[in-house]
Amino acid sequence: MSATSDPSLIRVALVEDDVHFSNAFTAALEAAPDMKLASASATLAQALQALEQPPADVLVVDLGLPDGSGIEAIRAAHERWPGCAIMVSTTFADESHVLRSIEAGASGYLLKDSVPKKLTEEIRSLHGGGSPISPLIARQVLMRFRQGGVPTPAPARQRGDGDSPAVLSEREQQTLEFIARGFTYDEISGLMAVSRYTVMTFVRRIYTKLEVKSKSEAVYEARNKGLLAS
Amino acid sequence: MKLVTRDYWRASWISLGLAALFVALLAGAQALETPTSYLHITRAEVLSEETRGFMPPPYALAALEPRGEWTARELPHAPRLHHPTGGLPQPDAALTQIIWYKVTTGDLAPIPAPHYLYIPRWKSDGTIAVYGDGRLLYQSHANLQWNGSNRPLWIALDETAGARPPREIVIRIQHLAGIGGALSSLWVGDGDALRWRYLTRDWLQAQLPFMSSAAFLALGVFSLAVWLKRRGEKLYLLFFVISAAAWIRTLHYHIGLDRLPVSDEWFGWLTVNSLFWLITGTHLFLEQIHQHRQAWLNRAAFAVTIACSILTLPLPGLPDATLVAPLIYVALLALADMAFAADLWHSWQSRSHNGMLSAGWCLFSTQFGVHDWLLQNNLVSIEGLFLGAYANVGAFFLFTYVMFRRYIDAHAEVERVNASLEERLHQREAELTTIHRHLREVGQRELLNRERQRLLQDMHDGLGSSLVSALRVVEHGQLNENEVAQVLRGCIDDLKLTIDSMEPLDADLLLLLATLRFRLAPRLEASGIALRWQVRDVPPLAWLDQRNALHILRILQEAFTNIIKHTQAHEIRVATEEKSDGVVVTVSDDGQGFDIEQAMRKGGKGLTNQLRRAEAIGAKVSWESSGAGTCFSLWLPAKGGRVPDAKQTVQPKNLS
Repeated sequence: MSATSDPSLIRVALVEDDVHFSNAFTAALEAAPDMKLASASATLAQALQALEQPPADVLVVDLGLPDGSGIEAIRAAHERWPGCAIMVSTTFADESHVLRSIEAGASGYLLKDSVPKKLTEEIRSLHGGGSPISPLIARQVLMRFRQGGVPTPAPARQRGDGDSPAVLSEREQQTLEFIARGFTYDEISGLMAVSRYTVMTFVRRIYTKLEVKSKSEAVYEARNKGLLAS
Repeated sequence: MKLVTRDYWRASWISLGLAALFVALLAGAQALETPTSYLHITRAEVLSEETRGFMPPPYALAALEPRGEWTARELPHAPRLHHPTGGLPQPDAALTQIIWYKVTTGDLAPIPAPHYLYIPRWKSDGTIAVYGDGRLLYQSHANLQWNGSNRPLWIALDETAGARPPREIVIRIQHLAGIGGALSSLWVGDGDALRWRYLTRDWLQAQLPFMSSAAFLALGVFSLAVWLKRRGEKLYLLFFVISAAAWIRTLHYHIGLDRLPVSDEWFGWLTVNSLFWLITGTHLFLEQIHQHRQAWLNRAAFAVTIACSILTLPLPGLPDATLVAPLIYVALLALADMAFAADLWHSWQSRSHNGMLSAGWCLFSTQFGVHDWLLQNNLVSIEGLFLGAYANVGAFFLFTYVMFRRYIDAHAEVERVNASLEERLHQREAELTTIHRHLREVGQRELLNRERQRLLQDMHDGLGSSLVSALRVVEHGQLNENEVAQVLRGCIDDLKLTIDSMEPLDADLLLLLATLRFRLAPRLEASGIALRWQVRDVPPLAWLDQRNALHILRILQEAFTNIIKHTQAHEIRVATEEKSDGVVVTVSDDGQGFDIEQAMRKGGKGLTNQLRRAEAIGAKVSWESSGAGTCFSLWLPAKGGRVPDAKQTVQPKNLS
């Protein structure tokens, strides 16, 4: 594969052990004129190896790999390919899988049963800076930031759109609340009088904050677990 | 406990040791005296005259007065008594007697001044006056009967300007005929040489009884306070009674030098009878220790005590307590001997160490009473000490010891009980922890079981039956690829909702609806039907657990499926509102509508399922349909929500 082709193409790397999905995915990419498969790995080892190559624009990772967890691939990619948008491919987009991936550095998810058109749309959207989110995940994120101990201090909120990594801005919080009530990005952009794109970047920023927060909480949580273990 | 006992006695010995040290210090003063510094006078000239009533002593005695037949007598001098009984006579009408004692001191000039006259004991039941060379040096100024005659006299002889030591001392004692009137030997001389004798005697005869009875009373009051809180413990009350009686009795020993605030009659009644109360109280106290009730003895003690207390009341016609005391004391001594001997015996029987010690001491000290009775009646040398006070001192230590033991034992008991309580508490805690763990395990197992049941039911009704019917159709070759894909998509959607229903919802209905929308969006999109999301915030539904959530999801999913499949609608409107004690979710479309009754009659599985599921959670579903569309409503109660019956089966959904 040539790595130096048209720079306007979205270069997508895939980590997936299921041949059928892998094939379907490859076919979907081939059908999209603006996308190109950069690499396809069937195991964690191959995936880590692929990370040695020049970075892709989007990385799609399945969590259940034969030789380890896709979370490790996400973490490694987040470190080595900082500019790459990572998405976890999942059957159910269930809250626990997705949140774990986001905390490891992913910024979106891909539903495996999506039709090909939807598949490429999601990749495009992620590459463009937007992130998908389900109501249950939105709710969960809200709870995480709420129970973070410190109730969001008013001054921090007023400092504009979420400069502080540990705190959600008012608009970000509002966005999550709308999502948890079932509103789509389009509806929310209408309700909040911002563009659809802005709403999507809110979600992306929320994911980034969640990742930072989870890192800083790792020590605390370890201690907390130690306490709970007794 | 042995250690405790030893500690108590150690404390007792220390205090007794301190008292002994005090006496020793006084005795040390003896070293100062020289044989020539004082006179011990054991002979006197005595003259007595019969009189009627009491007259004040003359201020000065004329030379050679009083006149009469002086006879030489040994000191101490105590006439034989013949007790009058009955009431106390009026002072001005009583038959009285004056006894004059005359002693010659000789020339006291060589002995260093100041000089003192020391009289260890005198008895009067009247008055005493002391003259030096015819001048009045001292006179009693007290009641006639209770006049402090237990206090030794210490009279300065030459403490006035220009005075010279008297060569002759005359003592005038006027007393009721037949009682009182006695004088011990006299001491004259250097104050330094005599003072220790006076102080020792005063301390032993007056101060020690006074102090110990006060201490006794203080503990008695403490005991009383304990008893007031713990009425069951009679021992504490009896201790107080004893201490109070002993305190009253001890007044004999140390007061009376000044006029009393009460009459002789009342003071006599109080102090004489207090001895009865003391003995009876002590007996009851001992009985509490050895725990052997002696009804007849108690009745006798009460009878004697009450009889004496009533019969000697200072009322007209009744005998005076002081005058009859020597007689009734005999009865008292007999009673005390009998009671204490019985108490000693029973203490021995019940192996009560404290009882034996206390009863033994009481019996022993009753013999002090015998001695005091003899002394009172001039039958032994009147210079001796009254010993009754020491009986009290001993009893004080013993009884205090008993109370102390009881107090310490009670504390030890409390500590023991506390320790055992703590142990039992620990046991209970451990038991509770075990039970709690069991319950938790059982609860968890039950929870798992319920979840399993729920999922099984759902798989059976939904996914399972869909797959089975799809399989049958495929086997008969009636489905094309696209149709198979649709069936499978339906199955995956079902599965997704099942998984979503496992997430905690926190009673949030909107979150549930949002999840449904999220899952159905691709299908709606594919079918080209627009969705108007008009949900409004509704109050939380506390009963909305995972099981109920799945029922709601399935009911609404069915509603959507029906619209997509059967109505050719272009738009679906979803709205929520609060209504009649609950929340209503409406799903309305602009399709062609359907005949509800007919659908029901045909037994449409979809509708039936919705009805059954709604019933299972206490909700209601309804349809309104016309040519312009259908409005499906799901009413959910604000409270309760029926707990679904596990046995209830829900018909498989009609997907095909």
